[in-house]
Amino acid sequence: MNKFLTTVVVAASLPLAASAQTPPVWNEIKGELATALQTKGDAARGETAFVACQGCHRKDASGRTSGAYPRLSGQHSTVLMKQITDIRAGRRHNPKMEPYVDDHEVTPYEVADIALYVQGLPISNENGKGPGAGVAAGKQIYDRDCVTCHGTNGEGSAEKFYPMVAAQHYRYLLRELHFIRDGDRGNSNPEMVKVIKPYHDADMEALADYMSQLPPPNK
Amino acid sequence: MIGPAAAQDAKTIAATVCVACHTEDGNSVIPMFPKIAGQQETYVIKQLKDFMSGRRKSDVMGPIVAQLKPEDVAPLAAYFSQQKLMPSAPGDKDVLGLGKMIFYDGNEETGVPACVGCHQALGAGFDIYPRIGGQHAEYIRQQLKNFAAGERSNDPSRYMRVTAKRLSDEEANAVAQYLMGLGGK
Repeated sequence: MNKFLTTVVVAASLPLAASAQTPPVWNEIKGELATALQTKGDAARGETAFVACQGCHRKDASGRTSGAYPRLSGQHSTVLMKQITDIRAGRRHNPKMEPYVDDHEVTPYEVADIALYVQGLPISNENGKGPGAGVAAGKQIYDRDCVTCHGTNGEGSAEKFYPMVAAQHYRYLLRELHFIRDGDRGNSNPEMVKVIKPYHDADMEALADYMSQLPPPNK
Repeated sequence: MIGPAAAQDAKTIAATVCVACHTEDGNSVIPMFPKIAGQQETYVIKQLKDFMSGRRKSDVMGPIVAQLKPEDVAPLAAYFSQQKLMPSAPGDKDVLGLGKMIFYDGNEETGVPACVGCHQALGAGFDIYPRIGGQHAEYIRQQLKNFAAGERSNDPSRYMRVTAKRLSDEEANAVAQYLMGLGGK
């Protein structure tokens, strides 16, 4: 092989040596998500469109204290738009929800309407709470590992698409932590996976316990 | 024998065409024919149009709507929506507990949404979502079967087809019995 080819082959193989393939960009703003984000949402239209979501998430978008379905009220509209479009596209694995949010049920414009409407709903403090025993340990983990992205009070970040985790149902938080750690969620932020990969189950129970006890953040 | 729908007047059509199955005011007494008294106007409009186009298939309603004109649809829907729904008998009490649970909470494990989410308190319905409270249990049961099998496919987004398929036979029967007892407005 001549010197030129050798250089090309070596150069081409260098990034491949670092990882098996180029990892997908987390949260690429394109397609339906881009459409929804660029749409000026209409909360009144969102209220009408949200009726179809009430069967699981309840009329006040408080979800289920069992954790089967998350509280959506007060969640950042950007987060909601991302999660809905990820579920529609199958990037987030959610076979229970997927048929109810597919493009026959909701248009990308209605996604923006719903997200705006739900963001404006009051957050109840009556969410499903953890046992309480893990709060101290959970706080340690949270302050060390989670504050940077999810905020001191679990308020998340609208601009960065990091969800509000405060006042969320304990069992929902726990389930999603498991999914994210173990690769079952589908649309996890790789940075987050790196952080929680070494967690034991007991760590995640403590963390979920702590987050579930955090009060609704002031807006 | 049902004669041609000569008059455009909705009340007259109801009294001559619809009466045979639904009774004149829409309070059908035959469980396989739905009560349409007090039904949501928007819903009735869609169902009549869907019967006319074949989007909703029915060996019974197909020939009936063939006698109607498109301009009969809105007046008929308005007329029946304004009638008072008479309560049905309460359902089988052995299954009412399960039926009520399905109505208010659905099934979290299998992903059945609570009926109340769309169909509202007392199953009264709203706009495009039909009133199902007070309906014949037999009719509800049949529609759920038809949705589950895909034989009824005029739900705009597969929502009812997916939901009916997720319901167990026991749950579908129970919720139909519960709904029947929910009464009028």
